[in-house]
Amino acid sequence: MGLIVQSVGFGLVTASVLAVAAVGLTLQFGVTNYINFAYGTYLLLGAYFTWTLSTKAHLNFVVAALLACLLMGVVAVVIARVVMQHFVSRQAPLFYLLIVTFGLSLILSNVIEAIWGPAFQTYNLAVGNPLILGPFSLTPNQIIIMGIAVAAMLGIHLMLTRTVLGKAMRAMSDNKDLAQVSGINTDQITTVTWFVTGCLAGLAGVALTVTTVSFGPASGSNFLFVIFAAVILGGIGKPYGAMLGAVILGIITEVSAVLVSAAYKDDIAFVALIVVLLLRPQGLIASRGRA
Amino acid sequence: MDLILPYLATLVVFFFVYNILTWGLNIQFGYAGVLDFTFITFVACGAYFAGVFALGPGSQQNGFEWILGLNLPFPVALVAGALAAGVLGILIGLIAINRLRSDYMAIVTLATGTVLYGLVSNFTPLFDGFDGLAGLSPPFAQALGLNSNQFTYLWVVVCGVVMVICWFIAQRILNSPLGRTMRAIREDQDAAETFGKDTVRVRLTAMAMGALLAGAGGALLMGFIGAFSPAGWTSGETFVVWAALIVGGRGNNWGAIVGSFVVAVLINEATRYIPPVSVDPTLVPTLRNMLIGASLILVLWVRPQGIIPETRRRFLQLPLRPGTPPIRGAERARG
Repeated sequence: MGLIVQSVGFGLVTASVLAVAAVGLTLQFGVTNYINFAYGTYLLLGAYFTWTLSTKAHLNFVVAALLACLLMGVVAVVIARVVMQHFVSRQAPLFYLLIVTFGLSLILSNVIEAIWGPAFQTYNLAVGNPLILGPFSLTPNQIIIMGIAVAAMLGIHLMLTRTVLGKAMRAMSDNKDLAQVSGINTDQITTVTWFVTGCLAGLAGVALTVTTVSFGPASGSNFLFVIFAAVILGGIGKPYGAMLGAVILGIITEVSAVLVSAAYKDDIAFVALIVVLLLRPQGLIASRGRA
Repeated sequence: MDLILPYLATLVVFFFVYNILTWGLNIQFGYAGVLDFTFITFVACGAYFAGVFALGPGSQQNGFEWILGLNLPFPVALVAGALAAGVLGILIGLIAINRLRSDYMAIVTLATGTVLYGLVSNFTPLFDGFDGLAGLSPPFAQALGLNSNQFTYLWVVVCGVVMVICWFIAQRILNSPLGRTMRAIREDQDAAETFGKDTVRVRLTAMAMGALLAGAGGALLMGFIGAFSPAGWTSGETFVVWAALIVGGRGNNWGAIVGSFVVAVLINEATRYIPPVSVDPTLVPTLRNMLIGASLILVLWVRPQGIIPETRRRFLQLPLRPGTPPIRGAERARG
């Protein structure tokens, strides 16, 4: 029993990472209306930027991670403006965009391998002694990650509800054409969305690789569809749904790692994804609209 | 000459196999619009099942374990591999093909492929995990007394025969009422449904037929190489087939041939013989993958219909003049 309670603690850590990633993916989907299959490599790219800045440029880890997140936001904007914008502005069929992002993921993961090599990397971070928090025993890094994730979610919540930018994003997510005729500069909002979600991807990538300790060029690929599962669980395009989906999936996968086997964690996430798709494809938080 | 000819024959084998694979994806995506992002899983399914039908039983003592091990002749194994892939196509299709957006289809196929990849790699009793199947002696070679070069030439013929059969299957579907229904669903699912087409069943058929061809191609690879492991079916391999289809031109099988030649033979296979750069042995493969990804995006950018575009079919010429006799094709259109 103690082991299961402890795994719930790890589940909350996984959920934190997952929530940051899933909110980024779903926010971008809501505004642009297509799924980005290269998102997993965005996470990984953020992790590699952090690694280079902290171990090669000898920056403080927090500074390096922050810079890497901003850099990832810029990369996401550049890719969106240079590649995706061409297809979006010509109103290309949806499958073009899906294939193009699928292709981008292949290109980016090979760019990563070409630059940083196939070997596994680790950050110069002290793991620290586990702290006992109630029933859970977590390392300081894990607690910091949870804190950062909560702060990020709070920030996203405030942005979506209190700022003009966030309201414009929600309006575009509801109905792009209506948003445009209401005077919202949809082009600009799309660019800002790519920047914000790129930063979130970078942040999630750093958090993920801090929890897994070592990472290689293939690390993002399996996590990508756990993110998808969280996004679909919460209802695609819905940030709060994604947060809920992340918490549920994070706990389910970590508890199942104790009950079944850690090797089949992804399969459990997959089963959850399939059950949701078959029973409740609109996601847990249902509303009128897409799907 | 002794070196060049077998090398060319090897390329021809890959060219023929990739033709079959690209037609398979063409049936799924080019005809019916099913976004199958895990096509290579069906190829792997065909290869694995052909392998365990043709190989002898694996023995746990030697560290080789796999299911079945029936020691059957290769043609039986080929059919078994193709059928197994077809069944897998229906199973994955049942999850992926529903009345939702095409994003879901792409996500579900990709996720299923990833899970199956993890399962096959980790669960050794199935297909020997990461080590994979190995030790299949070249089919027919012993009976005919062939050396390894002669076997390669034989395999060109075998692949050619299977390819011709697959060509007839793919063309037959394309020009049949079923193929027309598939294209109608691809263009507008709601409209096709309004006309009483069972869009889920038709797309499941496309999924199964495409997977069948994929399985046949996989079985041919298994027979040629004699081994198959998870390293041979990473998601990047799916992309090679996708790039071949998009670059060559989807919706018609000639375009698929051109695409499989350009992408699968010129870019993917021929560059394997470039000597690795000594300072960075992974540089050539990573550049090759980048090139494949870039070629696909570039084609969608400048010529989205591909090198050989699908011909626009005219079914009824409008406006119809009064008193025009009913067009004979109209009778056949009821798929």
